[in-house]
Amino acid sequence: MLDIKNLHARIDGKDILKGIDLRIGAGEVHAIMGPNGSGKSTLSKLLAGHDDYTITQGTVSFDGADLLELNPEERAAKGIFLGFQYPVEIPGVSNMVFLKAALNAQRKIRGEKELDAADFLSWVKHRVKQMQMNPAMLSRGVNEGFSGGEKKRNEILQMLVLEPKLMVLDETDSGLDIDALKIVADGINLMRSKERSVLLVTHYQRLLDYVKPDFVHVLAEGRIVKTGGPELALELEEKGYGWIQQAA
Amino acid sequence: MLDLSPFRRAFEALPAAAQTGERRKALDAFLTAGFPSTELEEWKYTNLAALAALPEAALQPEAELASATGHGDALDALNAAFAGGVTELRIPAKTRREEPIRPSDRAHQRHRLHLERGSEATMILNTSGDGVFETIFADIELEAGAQLHLIRLNDAGADSHRITRINLRLSRDACCDVVTVDLGGRLSRHDLNVDLAEPGAAIHLHGLYAPTGDGHVDNHTRIEHRAPHCISREQYRGIARDKARGVFNGMIRVHKDAQKTDSEQRIANLILSPGAEINAKPELEIYADDVKCAHGATFGQLDDEALFYLRSRGLPESTARALLTWTFAHEVLQHIRLEDVRSRVTKRLLRQLPNTEQLEALQ
Repeated sequence: MLDIKNLHARIDGKDILKGIDLRIGAGEVHAIMGPNGSGKSTLSKLLAGHDDYTITQGTVSFDGADLLELNPEERAAKGIFLGFQYPVEIPGVSNMVFLKAALNAQRKIRGEKELDAADFLSWVKHRVKQMQMNPAMLSRGVNEGFSGGEKKRNEILQMLVLEPKLMVLDETDSGLDIDALKIVADGINLMRSKERSVLLVTHYQRLLDYVKPDFVHVLAEGRIVKTGGPELALELEEKGYGWIQQAA
Repeated sequence: MLDLSPFRRAFEALPAAAQTGERRKALDAFLTAGFPSTELEEWKYTNLAALAALPEAALQPEAELASATGHGDALDALNAAFAGGVTELRIPAKTRREEPIRPSDRAHQRHRLHLERGSEATMILNTSGDGVFETIFADIELEAGAQLHLIRLNDAGADSHRITRINLRLSRDACCDVVTVDLGGRLSRHDLNVDLAEPGAAIHLHGLYAPTGDGHVDNHTRIEHRAPHCISREQYRGIARDKARGVFNGMIRVHKDAQKTDSEQRIANLILSPGAEINAKPELEIYADDVKCAHGATFGQLDDEALFYLRSRGLPESTARALLTWTFAHEVLQHIRLEDVRSRVTKRLLRQLPNTEQLEALQ
C-alpha cells in the first residue's frame, strides 16, 4: 500500500530524514518509535503533504500513485489520514459543519455522491457514540476549548468519519489518561481491517498494549535503524534508545 | 476648489415644499465648508472628493420631511439637508422594546434615539440599500441603566458610497453593545463617537470591515472616558483583499477624572492579497493615573498550520482559506444578536470568497 524508498528531506537547510525505507502492506499495523528529534513527526507530516519540507531524494508511492505529486487534499481523498500531535482549534466552525464539509470534499474529489444532511447525521452520530463522546460536541467549534485528551479523541472521531485507508497517527497517545487511551485504542482497532493500514508514531510502548503492531521500527537521526516485532517495543521501554543508537 | 454644484442641483430638484429654509441653511453650510481636506489628520487616508464626481441623479436627497433639526460640521450639514430632518424615537423608562428598531431604508437618514432610564432596545442602522450615495447620522442617548444593542451594517454593492456617524452618550451604568460590519462597497467613512459621561457606563464595540476590489473603508472610533469606573471593550477586525484599502483609527481618551477606567482595545487584520492594504492605528490619550488600559494590534496572513490541518482532512485549499477567513470574521459576527442579520452577513461574506459551497451551513 505504502512504499517509501530512500527518502531524504530537509527543512530550513537542515537534513531531517536521511534515507528512509519503509513498506506498509494492506492490513498491517506498523509502529515507529524513536527519541525526540529523530524525524518521526517530519515523516508523518510529509506523508500528509505538509509543504515546509523539501524532498531531496527518494520516492513515496501509495496505492501505485506517486504520493509526492499530490497536494494534501488529494492525499486525503486517496485515503491518507494524519492524526495530529497538536490538533488545531477552529473557533466558530462546528464539528458537524467541518466533518460534513471534509467528507463531502473527499467524496467529490473521488467522484462519489455527496451525503445530504440527514444521511450525514446518522453517519456521524453512530461514530460519536463509538468514541463515547457527547453528541452535543457536534455543535461545538472544532477543538474549541477542548482539553488535550478531547482533541485526540476528536482526531480519532474524524478518522472514523472519513474512513481512510492509511492512518498515520502522530503521538496520538501523548497526553491521554488511561481511560482516554483505551477509547482511542478502541477507535483505532475498530478501523483495522484487511484493507486498512496503520502507522503509529509514538514515544511510548503503552499504546501498543492496546493496538498490537505487526512491526516496530526505531527511527534515529533520520533513519530506520532497527525493525522487529512487538517485542522490540517492550525492549525499548525497558532499555531506552541508547543501545540501539550505539549499535547503529 | 471642488465643484459641489451637483449637490446643490440635486437639492434644488426637490419639490418646492421640501426645500425648507432650515434644509437650505444646512445645504449652504455644507457648500461653504466643503468636504474635509485630507490634510486633516482625521481624514489623512480618506478623500471624499470622489463624491463630487458622482452624477447628480445618484445623490437622492429625501423628498419627505421629517421634523426640523440643527446641524454641526459640513458632513453633518450635508446629512441634515439631504435627510430632510430628524426621526426621533424615545423608549420610555423601564420598558423593554422587544421588536428591534429597523428604520426604513431611505438613502439619507438622521436619527435621534433616546433611551430613558432603565429601558432596553435593539437598533439596526443599515446602509445596504441600492442607492449609490447614502448617509446616516445618529445621536443616541442612554439614560442611567439603559441598555442598547446597536448594529450598523453596510453590505451594499461595489459602486456604493457611504458616510455614517453615530454619537453615543452613556449616563450612569448604561451599557451599549455595538457591532459594525462593512463588506464591500466603493468608498465609505464611518465615525463612531462614544461619550462615557457618568460612572459605571460600559461600551462594547465589535467591528468588521472587509473591503474588496478597489474599495475603501474607513472606520474612525473615539471613546471618551469622562467619568470614573467606566468600561470600554473594543475589537476591530479588518480583512483586505484585491487592491482594497481599509483604515481603522481608534482613539481612546481617558480624562483626568476618569479614575479606575478599564479599557481594552484589540485590533487584528488579515491581508489576503499583496495589493491590499490596511492602515490601523490605535490612539491612546491617558490623563488619569489609576487606570487599566490594554491594547494590541496584529497584522497577518492566514495561519499555515491551520490551513494544513483543514487540507489534510480533504478541504480544497481555497475552501480552507475561506473557512479560516470566516473564522476570523466570526470573532466579530458572533456578537450580532439578531439571527437573521447574522446569517445574512455570513452568506454575504462567504459569497465574496471562492469555493464555499460546502460551507453553506456556517452561520
